[in-house]
Amino acid sequence: MFGKKKDIKVLLVDDEVEFVDTLAQRLKMRELLVDTVYDGKQALSFIKKTEPDVIVLDLKMPELHGIDVLREIKKSKAHIQVIILTGHGTDKDEEEARKLGGFDFLRKPADIDLLVAKIKEAFAEKLERAMTAITFAEEGVTDTAKRIIRKEE
Amino acid sequence: MVADKEQIMIESQLKVVGKILSAFSHELNNHLAVIKESAGLIEDILNFNKSFKGAGKENLKAFQSIENHITNTSWLCEQLGNFGHKMDEPLASFDVNESINELLVLLGRIAKQKGIIFEKDFQDNVPLIYSNPSKLQFLIFCFIDKNLNRFERNGSIIFKTSYSHSSITIKILTRGEVTETGERDICPDEIHEYVARRLRGNIVREDGGIAITLPVSISSEADAHD
Repeated sequence: MFGKKKDIKVLLVDDEVEFVDTLAQRLKMRELLVDTVYDGKQALSFIKKTEPDVIVLDLKMPELHGIDVLREIKKSKAHIQVIILTGHGTDKDEEEARKLGGFDFLRKPADIDLLVAKIKEAFAEKLERAMTAITFAEEGVTDTAKRIIRKEE
Repeated sequence: MVADKEQIMIESQLKVVGKILSAFSHELNNHLAVIKESAGLIEDILNFNKSFKGAGKENLKAFQSIENHITNTSWLCEQLGNFGHKMDEPLASFDVNESINELLVLLGRIAKQKGIIFEKDFQDNVPLIYSNPSKLQFLIFCFIDKNLNRFERNGSIIFKTSYSHSSITIKILTRGEVTETGERDICPDEIHEYVARRLRGNIVREDGGIAITLPVSISSEADAHD
């Protein structure tokens, strides 16, 4: 319904280089378009240039904590979906991530099929929101047009 | 004054232990994640590449076994990490059933060695309580330890929880033949009462077990001299 997997652009953000590179290979084998960065700062500059659909984000990273990265993403590009994938997650972290608009919270090591399913769900929700926004915008245009016509009459 | 400092020192030591436990279990999880993804990648290569089809069946079984063991180990690490985090704050909101379960998982190996079975009869939808989670686990541990030393193989320790009138009751009952192992309990009886009082709860000793009743919420622990 929401397009092929190849259409889904995923950004993996994790300072565990070996982990993130291997995971990227596995996701690519499942026909996702995957980019990787190794810390929060790189993630923020990446999304300034390119817009992934879904970000899979670790929490405990040097310099910038994942929660701060999530906060920044939601401030500037709220439509990008973020899935937290962490080996350091407490219930408090999960609560905070969800409050900030994180799509889901997974603990490492996560099952690859589950991760792919969550990525697809997140992408579907992103598309659905975009469609709703377009519909509202169109309705807005129609209403304005009707008002103009009424005025002219 | 010396007693206060002693108290602060013990509490700080516990926090250190908790921090090390949670950090260590998280670190283990990171390594497990790399192993899982690497095994998964090899499995994917065998699965996706047609030239490996047929020849890789046994290998696939082995990788599946690796993945299952990683998943189990990772879950144990998570329990250990959660146990460690219970020492972060003196008071917190937590689920009593989950806290008992966590303890039983971590003590599973000892119970198995002694041939004692843990049975659970938890009331569903018990509300979260606001209290000291690590002290409650400590209290429950004391009873488990006591009973692990008292019963012959095939004995059972039964854990029941129930909620009514703003309090939670945890019953720890036993079943089996009593024996004398000669092992000393880690924690003497008077400490059980002391810890329960600190949590503003009480302990009733019944035939074949005990019942700990705790208020659903406390604003602070009772003073040591209460």
